[in-house]
Amino acid sequence: MAKRLKAAERRASILAVAKVLFADRGFHGVSVDEIARRLGVSPAVLYRHFDSKEALYEAALSEIACQRESYVEAALGGPGDFGSVLLRMTRVYAASVARDPDYLRMEMHSVLEGAPAAQQFFESRWKSFTDFIEVSLGELAPQGRVARVDARSASLMFQGMVREALYAKCILKSPRHKDIGLDDLIEQLIQLFLAAVGYQHS
Amino acid sequence: MSTFDQELDARGLNCPLPILRAKKAITALDAGKVLKIIATDPGSVKDFEAFCKQTGNELLASNQAGGAFEFLIRKH
Repeated sequence: MAKRLKAAERRASILAVAKVLFADRGFHGVSVDEIARRLGVSPAVLYRHFDSKEALYEAALSEIACQRESYVEAALGGPGDFGSVLLRMTRVYAASVARDPDYLRMEMHSVLEGAPAAQQFFESRWKSFTDFIEVSLGELAPQGRVARVDARSASLMFQGMVREALYAKCILKSPRHKDIGLDDLIEQLIQLFLAAVGYQHS
Repeated sequence: MSTFDQELDARGLNCPLPILRAKKAITALDAGKVLKIIATDPGSVKDFEAFCKQTGNELLASNQAGGAFEFLIRKH
């Protein structure tokens, strides 16, 4: 019989097991019954903490997503120009993924599982970056501090670039990039991105 | 809501833009002056708590009104 736990401990233990299973097999590949079985409790115990499997998935996602406070700290902790803020925020995000690559695995599954799940990841993770890039490029172009590029395409380029770097370093452990650390790789890619959009530091 | 010295409209913007704009606006204010920020991003509630914690400014009020969030921050 499972040991009796306090509510907060039980919730944490459910999330820990759910996260690993969702990362391994995606939302549709895991049932509430299976999570309960792994924990040695009945499904009713899970439903006392989470209304549905969707709620459990969302909570697991929030649990391992980078905290907003970290982004605020990154945004404020240095020069406020576009290139510097983008670099610091991307570093914070990359470090959070490196600490817990299950988040990235959940995202990979979400892409296979269809639009709603992938959209949830976009909203919770990438939208801060894409909005920041699109608004900033729109403001900097008339000042001649970036080239007149299509901002939405540029934000897609950024997203693809960073995500591919995270796959290579955190999931695939690609030998092609073994000689460079994730943080340095991120810095190089951000420099390439800034050069591609013709960014001029003020 | 109480009085304020300057207003920042950050509606439609997501993190980090509202806090970067708030930082710029508050830098231009004298100590003791109050900045009002209007935002629509639900995450801005936590963001401005963190903003004040990190910048040492005082969060006087944090309210939700008509689908927007309003903050009053006094410059330290």
